[in-house]
Amino acid sequence: MAGIHKWVTTAVALLLIAVAVFVYGHNGLSSKQKIEVTVILKTIDTSVEFWQVLIDGVHEAAQEFNVNVQVWGTKSETDVDEQIALVEKAIQNRPDAIVLAATDYERLVPVAEKIKKSGIKLIIVDSGINSDSADSIVTTDNVSAGREAGEAMKSLIKDQAKIAIISYVKSAASHIDREKGVHEVLEDHPGIEMLGTYNGEGSEQNSYLLAMEMLQEHNDVFGIIGLNEPTTVGAGRAIQELGLKGKVQLIGFDSSFNEIKLLDEGVMNATVLQRPFQMGYLSIKTAMEVVKGKKAAKLIDTGSLLITKQNMYEEENQKLLFPFVGNE
Amino acid sequence: MFSRLPSIQTNMVLASVALIIMTSIMMSVTSFYLTKDSVNSTAQTYTTELVKQVNNNIKSYINGMKYMSDLVAGNYAVQAYLSSASFNSLKEEKDYKEAISEMLGAMLVSRTDISSANIFGYGGQFVSGRKELELNPNVDITSMNWYRNAKSMGGQSVISSSHVQPIFKDRYPWVVSLSRELVSKEGNKKLGVFLVDLNFSVMNDMFKDIRLGQRGYLFIIDSDGKIVYHPQQQLIYSNLKTEMIDKVLEVRNGTFISSQGSESRMYTVQDSEFGWKIVGVSYVSELAENQNNVLLSIIVLGIICIIIGIMISLFLSQRVSQPIKRLQGYMKEVEKGNFDIHVPGHKTVEIQRLARAFNMMVGKIKELMQQTVLDQEQKRKSEIIALQAQINPHFLYNTLDSIVWMAESNKSREVVLMTSALAKLFRSSISKGEELVAIKTEIEHITNYLMIQKMRYKNKLDYHIEISEAIQEYRIIKIIIQPLIENAIYHGIKMKQGPGFIRVACEETDTDIILIVEDNGNGMDEEKLKSLHLPASVTEGGRGVGVRNVQERLKLYYGAQYGLTYHSVLGVGTTVYIRIPKIRQVLEDERHGRNS
Repeated sequence: MAGIHKWVTTAVALLLIAVAVFVYGHNGLSSKQKIEVTVILKTIDTSVEFWQVLIDGVHEAAQEFNVNVQVWGTKSETDVDEQIALVEKAIQNRPDAIVLAATDYERLVPVAEKIKKSGIKLIIVDSGINSDSADSIVTTDNVSAGREAGEAMKSLIKDQAKIAIISYVKSAASHIDREKGVHEVLEDHPGIEMLGTYNGEGSEQNSYLLAMEMLQEHNDVFGIIGLNEPTTVGAGRAIQELGLKGKVQLIGFDSSFNEIKLLDEGVMNATVLQRPFQMGYLSIKTAMEVVKGKKAAKLIDTGSLLITKQNMYEEENQKLLFPFVGNE
Repeated sequence: MFSRLPSIQTNMVLASVALIIMTSIMMSVTSFYLTKDSVNSTAQTYTTELVKQVNNNIKSYINGMKYMSDLVAGNYAVQAYLSSASFNSLKEEKDYKEAISEMLGAMLVSRTDISSANIFGYGGQFVSGRKELELNPNVDITSMNWYRNAKSMGGQSVISSSHVQPIFKDRYPWVVSLSRELVSKEGNKKLGVFLVDLNFSVMNDMFKDIRLGQRGYLFIIDSDGKIVYHPQQQLIYSNLKTEMIDKVLEVRNGTFISSQGSESRMYTVQDSEFGWKIVGVSYVSELAENQNNVLLSIIVLGIICIIIGIMISLFLSQRVSQPIKRLQGYMKEVEKGNFDIHVPGHKTVEIQRLARAFNMMVGKIKELMQQTVLDQEQKRKSEIIALQAQINPHFLYNTLDSIVWMAESNKSREVVLMTSALAKLFRSSISKGEELVAIKTEIEHITNYLMIQKMRYKNKLDYHIEISEAIQEYRIIKIIIQPLIENAIYHGIKMKQGPGFIRVACEETDTDIILIVEDNGNGMDEEKLKSLHLPASVTEGGRGVGVRNVQERLKLYYGAQYGLTYHSVLGVGTTVYIRIPKIRQVLEDERHGRNS
C-alpha cells in the first residue's frame, strides 16, 4: 500500500516539475531573451539626414528582430567628451550590446575597451576607432568608395588633367581611407597630376575658401574630389561663383539638399553615396547575432553607390538620395 | 505479504490514471488543432480586413485626385486657354492664366495632402495652383514618366508610383502623381497634361504604423511591380531582403505563404482599382509562436488535469479500499487470538454486510471455542467419575467380604480364583492410562468383573459374552461396558425374583459397531427410562450415575449421533445399545494430544 502512495507522489512531483520547467523555459525564451542594445551615434541632430536615416534602419531592425533599442547621441559631431560620457552612462545600464559610431579615432579607444571589459558586446558603426576591441564593424568600405570616386573622375578625363582632393578632418579614418582609394585609381597615371590634398579643417566655409584659392591659383584644374558633404558643397560653391561650371569637374561624397541641387544644376558630376539605412539595420542585426553567440563577420561592408545626374531619379536611387518622404 | 499481487487501490489508481491521461491527451490534441486552425484563420481574416481598410483609405485619396482631374478636364477656362493658339492681348492671356490658377488654388485650399496641381500645355503653357512654385530649369518635364504615361493614355488618368518630384525649383518632395492628358471638348485636339501630386508623406505616415504582429508589415507595389511603399525599401534595393513581387503580381486577391523555412511569410494581397496591390505580410513563425503559447497552455492544463485526476482517483480508491484494509486489520487481530472484537458499522452497504458477517463469524468462533473448552473440562470430569465408579468401595468391600467368607469356609480354590479376577480387573483398568483400548481388552475387563459377580451371586446370576473376532481389534473408550453391567446387576437382576441372565453381544454396520448389553431383570418404566436421558448433574448421585457418565463420555468423544440407547420393558428386562464408530487405530498425534 505504501508503494502506491510513493508511486503516485513521485508521479505528481515529476509532473509538477515538468510544468515548472516548461513554464520557466518558455518564459525564459520569450521575455528574458529580449536583447537590449544601446546605440550611441555621432549626433542625433535631426537636421543631419545621414544619422536620421541610420536611426531609421536601427528601428526597423529592432522591430524585426525584437530588440530593445535606445538611441543616444551628442548634439554635435565634434563633442567627443560628451560622447565618452554617454558611453560611460551606457556601460552603467549594462545593455547586451553597444553600437558606437565614434566621434574620434583615438580618444574613444579607452572607453571602448571598458565596454569590452564589462562583458558588453561592442559593434562599431560607420566610424571606427584605433583599436581591435569591437566584435564587429559595420561601415562603408571607404577605400573602395574612394576608388569609386576616383574611377568616376578618371572616366571624365580625356588626356591631361590636374586633380585636387579636399578632405574634412585630417585624422579621420574614413577620410584617410577615401583619399587612399582615390589615389589608388588616379596615381601613377600618365597625364594625371595630383595637386595634393587640401584640409578643409572641419567646415564648409574653409573648404569653399580653399577651393577658391586653389582654383584661382591653378586655372587649369580639371577636377576636384570632395571627401564628404561639406567639402563637396564648399567646392561646388566656389566653382559656381567662379563661373567654372562644366570646366571643373566635381565628384563628391554623401547627399544633401545642396548636393542634390549641385547635381541637378550640373555643377557636380557625381556623388558617392553610403547606405546609412543599411548601416543602422545591419549594426542591430549583427549586435543581435553577436549577443546570441553566433559568429559575425569582423567587418561588414555596407557598400557605396555612385549617383550621377543621369541616374539620380531612378527608382532605386531616389530612396537613397531623398531618404525622407516628409521633407519638401 | 502479497507483494506480488497488486492491491485493489493500485488497480483502481492505475486504471483511472490511464483513463485520465488518455482523455487529457485526446482533448489536448483536439483543442490544439482546433485552436491552431482558428489562430491561422483569425490572423488571415485580420490581415485581410486591415489590407481592405488601407485600400479604402488610399482609394479615397486617389478618388479625390480623380475628381480634381475631372473638374479641370471639363473646365471652360482651361479648354479655352490651352486651345487658343494666340490671344488678342497679353492681358487676356494673363487673365485666363489667373483664372485657372485661382481655380486650381481653390482646389488646394485646406488640402495639405495635395502637394501641387498644375497644367502643362503642349504649347508651353504652365499654370500651377500654388503660385509660389517655379519650374526647375534643369529638369525636362517631357522626360518625366508621369508626363509620358499621360500622353500615351489619351485622356485617361494615370497614377504613378511614389517618386521624388523634381520639377520645381529647390523642391524635391516625395509624391504620388495623378496625370491626365487634357483633350478639347470635341475630342480632336490634344491640349496638354494635368498633374496633381499627392504628398506621399500622408500615405507613408499611415502605412508606417501598421504592424502585423511583432514583425509583420504592409507594402504596396504598382502594376509594374515597382515599390510604392515598403518599410524596408532600401534593404530590397541592396538585396539584403527579397520580396516575392512576381508572385504578388500573379495573385489578384488572396493569400499565399512563401516557403522559406523559419522565415516563411504569409502574403495577403488586395488588388486596388487603380492598379496598386496592397500586400500584408505576416511571419508564419509568429503565428506559430502563438500556437506554441496555445500548445504550452494546453499542455500545462493537461498536466494539471492529470494531477487533479490522479489525486481524485487516489482519494476515491482510498475510500473504497480503506474499510477493506480496516477489516483486514481486525482479521489480523482475530488471527492473533483476540476474539473480543466488534467491527463498527460502515456507510457503504457492501462493507456494512461484510462487517456484519465478520462479526457473526467471530462470535460463532468464540462460542465454539468456549464450547470446546467446556467439553474438554467435561471429559476430564467424566473420566475421573468413571475411575471413581470403578473403584467403587461397596464393590470392593463386598468382594473382599466374599473372599473372607470363602476363606473361612476353606474354599481356597474359589478364593484364589476371585482374588486373581479382582487383580486382573484392576490391572486392566489401571494399566496404561490410555483413553482408547481394544474391544478385546474391554471384553477381558468385563469378563473378570462378571466372574467376580458370578462368584458372589452364584446361581442368581448367569452371563454370556458373544463378541465376534472381527471387531476385537477395533478401539473403544475404556470402562464403557462395565458400568452398564453393574447397572444391570444392581438395578435389574438383584431386584428380580429368580435367576438373572446377562448377555453381551455385538452388531456391526459399515461404519459403526453396536455393542449390546441385555438383561432379563426388572426392567424400567417409562419415567425411569426418560430420567436416564437427563444430564448427570440433574439427578441425585448413586443410581444411574455411572450410566449417564458413560452416555456423556460417548457423546463427547464420538459426537451426538453416537452413544447409548435403551430398550426396556417393566418386568421383562432391559437392553442397552452402545453405538460407536469403527476406529481401528488411534492416530499417533491424536493420542499424544489427548495424553498431554
